[in-house]
Amino acid sequence: MNCELAHERIVLAAYGELPDEQVHELDRHLAACTDCSQEREQLLALKTLAKAYPVVEPDPNFVARSRMRLEESLDALPPKRWYERLGQRITNNFANLQAAPAGVVLLLIVGAGAGTLGGYEYAAARTAHNATAAAASQSKITAQPSDTPTEIANISSIEREPNSEIIHVTYNQLVPQHIQGSLDDPSIRQLLMLASENATSQGVRDDSVGLLAAECRAGHACQGEGIRDALMVALRYDKSEAVREKALEGLQPYVAEDMRVRDAVLEALLNDSDPRIRTAAISVLEPVEADTSVRQVLSTVANSDHNPHIRTVSRQVLSRAPVIQ
Amino acid sequence: MELIREAQAGSRAAFDALVRQYEQQVLRLALHLTGSEHDAEDIYQEAFLKAFRYIGNFRFECSFYTWIYRIVTNLCLDQLRRKKTRREDQAVVVDQSGDEIDMLASVSDNRSFSNPAKELDRKVLGDRIQAALSKLTPRERMVFELKHYQGLRLRTIGEMLNTTEETAKNTLFRATKKLRTQLAGLR
Repeated sequence: MNCELAHERIVLAAYGELPDEQVHELDRHLAACTDCSQEREQLLALKTLAKAYPVVEPDPNFVARSRMRLEESLDALPPKRWYERLGQRITNNFANLQAAPAGVVLLLIVGAGAGTLGGYEYAAARTAHNATAAAASQSKITAQPSDTPTEIANISSIEREPNSEIIHVTYNQLVPQHIQGSLDDPSIRQLLMLASENATSQGVRDDSVGLLAAECRAGHACQGEGIRDALMVALRYDKSEAVREKALEGLQPYVAEDMRVRDAVLEALLNDSDPRIRTAAISVLEPVEADTSVRQVLSTVANSDHNPHIRTVSRQVLSRAPVIQ
Repeated sequence: MELIREAQAGSRAAFDALVRQYEQQVLRLALHLTGSEHDAEDIYQEAFLKAFRYIGNFRFECSFYTWIYRIVTNLCLDQLRRKKTRREDQAVVVDQSGDEIDMLASVSDNRSFSNPAKELDRKVLGDRIQAALSKLTPRERMVFELKHYQGLRLRTIGEMLNTTEETAKNTLFRATKKLRTQLAGLR
């Protein structure tokens, strides 16, 4: 290692961004190079000096004043017109559909297919006939009776007749469907991923995340299909503790190999509102506890978490890290 | 996530809840970066108005924290650039990656720090640090702030500033080098 490279790595090491294997290499260089040793001391001195301009918490009066001014500005904004709201809804719906393109395509194909085949009765008869022979990889889909209430998926176009009150709205409907198949079936997986993010019922989210997590833990092709991403979204954002806990369990096997997973687990350790999940995150991180970024977060938690149990567990894990190294 | 979705659907109450969740962090960052309550309040105001206007564009591809910080850092960068252009006698060039390099800031100026024996109280020392920080280019200042004071990962900083982790790393390296030159007499 030359000194120029060592100088760069000194900065990275000082801020906990140097991979462990390079830390050892840098230590060996510093032991033999006086100039670089001084460089490190100077940088550490800078870090100490910079504390003289600390980050201070904003004064509560200042926060309240800023919020009041913001609320006034928000109140002064003109209310969104109906077409703006509609546009926003379409955009949001479109974004939701974009999140699971295969699922959407599947629904459209199913709708068209069911209609072509002569409707519900034929499809139901066909399903019944094939039910016992259903192979694990083969999914079956049935349409609901045509009088079942449907939901509007999106609006394709809106036109107003000149000089009249008549409006032409073209829209697409989502028709309730039923599908059955193996967990390995890509169509089933797409629907589970969609359910993990969009289901209004906690039970549905819980079931879908639980099944996806079990697939990941069992090592069943949990990459490249967005399952990991779906679990990370659930871990970060789902309001149900049970769902977040299952997502965390599903991500466990990938914490060592996937940096994005590690970051999501570290975020959970720092920010999750449930102490059980923060504690579980510490166990999930144990295989990579020697990693610099993990040690940094563990050290933050060990010093400042408001839960004494979590502080103790973090300290215990930290104390084991050098032995593992 | 529910809160964000509700805000996307137009719920003002949900958006207000998001503001309360993140306002402290936004003000803390803006205040430390600009050193002025007035500027920090303007940035806070503009950031949340922008967030309100564009929350429909949030796609859950990153954490909401990263998204709101991206808006705030862009506004802070604009503010720092405006301050920079108001400074007199400055020689700024743009390097290949588009970063500004302040030629004067890279020249050591030890005149005011020539008496290390003088005891500086914490306030004066803080002012010196602030002065040294203000001599960094806006981007260097921002990367140093996010790394040193806010403790963010270089990868996240790269995402927030629409650049790569490698560029963020190089910018941090330049910033620490300049600061060490600026503060040489204080050690």
